[in-house]
Amino acid sequence: MRDDVVSRALAQGRSILDEHEAKGLLSIFGIPVTRERLVTKKKDLAAAVREVGLPCALKACSPAIAHKTELDLVRLNIASLAAAARAYAEIRQAMGDAPGGVLVQEMVSGRRELAAGMTRDEQFGPCVMFGLGGIFTEILKDVSFRKAPLTRQDALAMMDEIRGHRILEGVRGMEPVDRERLAAILMTVGAIATRDARIKEIDINPLIVRRGTPVAADALIVLDDGGRATKRP
Amino acid sequence: MDLSFERIFHPRRVAVAGVSTDGFGFGRGILLSLLEMGFEGELFPVNPRGGEIKGLKIYPAIEDIPGEIDFAVIAVAAEAVPETLAACRRKGAAGAEILSSGFRETGTEKGAALEEAVRVEAARGIRVIGPNCFGIYCPKSGLTMLPGPDLSRETGPVAFVSQSGGHAIDLAFLGKAVGIRFSKMISFGNGVDLRETELLKYLTTDPETGVIAMYLEGVTDGDAFFRALDEATRKKPVVIYKGGLSEAGQRAVASHTASMGGQALIWESILRQAGAVQTASMDELAGACLALSLLPRRPYRGVTVVGGGGALGVAACDTAEAYGLQLPPLTGEIFEAVQAVLPKPGSSAANPIDIANPYVPPQTLEKALTAAGRDERVDIQIMVPLLYHFKALAAMLGLPSIKEATPYEAMAEAGARAAAATGKPVCAVLPNPRRTLADLDVEVILREARDSFLKRGIPVFSSLAEAFSAVRHAARAARRLEGDPD
Repeated sequence: MRDDVVSRALAQGRSILDEHEAKGLLSIFGIPVTRERLVTKKKDLAAAVREVGLPCALKACSPAIAHKTELDLVRLNIASLAAAARAYAEIRQAMGDAPGGVLVQEMVSGRRELAAGMTRDEQFGPCVMFGLGGIFTEILKDVSFRKAPLTRQDALAMMDEIRGHRILEGVRGMEPVDRERLAAILMTVGAIATRDARIKEIDINPLIVRRGTPVAADALIVLDDGGRATKRP
Repeated sequence: MDLSFERIFHPRRVAVAGVSTDGFGFGRGILLSLLEMGFEGELFPVNPRGGEIKGLKIYPAIEDIPGEIDFAVIAVAAEAVPETLAACRRKGAAGAEILSSGFRETGTEKGAALEEAVRVEAARGIRVIGPNCFGIYCPKSGLTMLPGPDLSRETGPVAFVSQSGGHAIDLAFLGKAVGIRFSKMISFGNGVDLRETELLKYLTTDPETGVIAMYLEGVTDGDAFFRALDEATRKKPVVIYKGGLSEAGQRAVASHTASMGGQALIWESILRQAGAVQTASMDELAGACLALSLLPRRPYRGVTVVGGGGALGVAACDTAEAYGLQLPPLTGEIFEAVQAVLPKPGSSAANPIDIANPYVPPQTLEKALTAAGRDERVDIQIMVPLLYHFKALAAMLGLPSIKEATPYEAMAEAGARAAAATGKPVCAVLPNPRRTLADLDVEVILREARDSFLKRGIPVFSSLAEAFSAVRHAARAARRLEGDPD
């Protein structure tokens, strides 16, 4: 079962799982992700919006587009069905011929954005990353790593290791982050990597803290296609 | 205990291949160094031209040495190394160190082929250190590195494993000066056979080794190294300086030993995960080794700083926090007791304890340290005697030299007595801003003083930051050994 999405993508000559596929895989392993529906036909939009609820977010979802924010393919805080229809049309037009659809997603409210991920180091194999998320990931590079598989202690230690670790505390009236749940997410990311060598990189960013509980609001998975794909989108 | 390692580090009969009767070749250099060090076993120099050196017969070939050998030092041209190594194996040698260069590090096909030939020969049954290395230094047996004819023969707890020969020989000399004593040191260079992981495993079980230090650029098998390190740090402190962590350094590594430097962040995280003590320089590694050699294994946190003058600036003490240490302010009875022994005015019994006058009698220092050490929040004390000021005192008193004016022996004794009385170890910081040619007498006194402190088991550092760093590393290692996460 777990291999379906990976096998299918590889069979199609793809080295990228799009956001919806990536989150589907992560949620099979128990990582909490946003409630969302993938819409490929305009007529399904209204039903999807009703299911997800308002306000919602609309995002381009295509294995050919890895950086949708930079390409202005994300619309947040959509408050009405009419606004959703406009956003859908804009995103569809901007996507051009790219395959895939538009993701209708619940808005996750939380002021703290974290990041989790996995990369395969040449010397040490799969390593799990944790750090500040959103735009701060690149700007501050405040991240830590642990070699997979992770013990619970490893996961807790890597949280304390980032410079901004106080963000996990109950600052400014926010609830403290549930460290056990966060640890479980980090350990799971490591376990996915050790179980499936075809998964080369995982990006969960942002991992938004909603009332103390982290939820994957965006995700990307890169596959090892044995170097068949000439370049990444 | 692996018998082949015993025969490698404590060999009875050693061949030295590639010894010329004159010049400054590696073979001749290492033979003379071994003689100078007073190597405990028998030496058999080898050179096809034969002859004699320092009263020793030079054998034309390894095969001509009578009987078996335990170990060989190979310093012949790269082309002749595989055949020489084969001859050593047939002579029964358990291992050989290959000092010669001209292998993979050259980046040529020929070099790579020669290295492969060495690997193949090693796999037939002889352990190899090198090639392109400085070899083994073992104070107990008298094996030495090049150029090390005058390394210490005093043995001690620290083992050092290094990809770089330069770092190894430098640490050997530095250790002799600052009081680090070694069980064994191995520079493995290209590391065709024995290298980081297997040496780490050996040293973890080696009864002569209590502290393991390593200089690494890359590892060949990350998984195996990680497992060995995770295991080792639960038994002994392991201090690692990973070279090539900066981007500039990473480029240098690629052309240095032709090995891959890992991504800085991943390396840092992984060394921490495996419980190693990580340093950012060889000096910092040396400081950690010194502290781990002399201090009891405890999770130090509270520290006092006792001294006088500029070296005790508030800023310097603030840095303690950056090293995860705290300076608990002394209060109540303990504050009163310290205050009572300090000279007035200008002194302060809070922490740092400012004795205001560098010329206070050593007994005063001892009383202050003994009183402060009774505070239960204090785990360790750092005394900072400003010995360089005694040059001015000598002039004022009309004494012939700084030596007559400087009570360093009594100060070291004061530190040792306070440590014994309180059960809290004492470190010393001996700073010296007087560094002109005209102040060489100060330098001499400081070195003599260093030896006095070391003789009493008190580690000496040159600055407070260096001392804090070393104590922090000792504390981290202790927490790991106790099984605490940190």
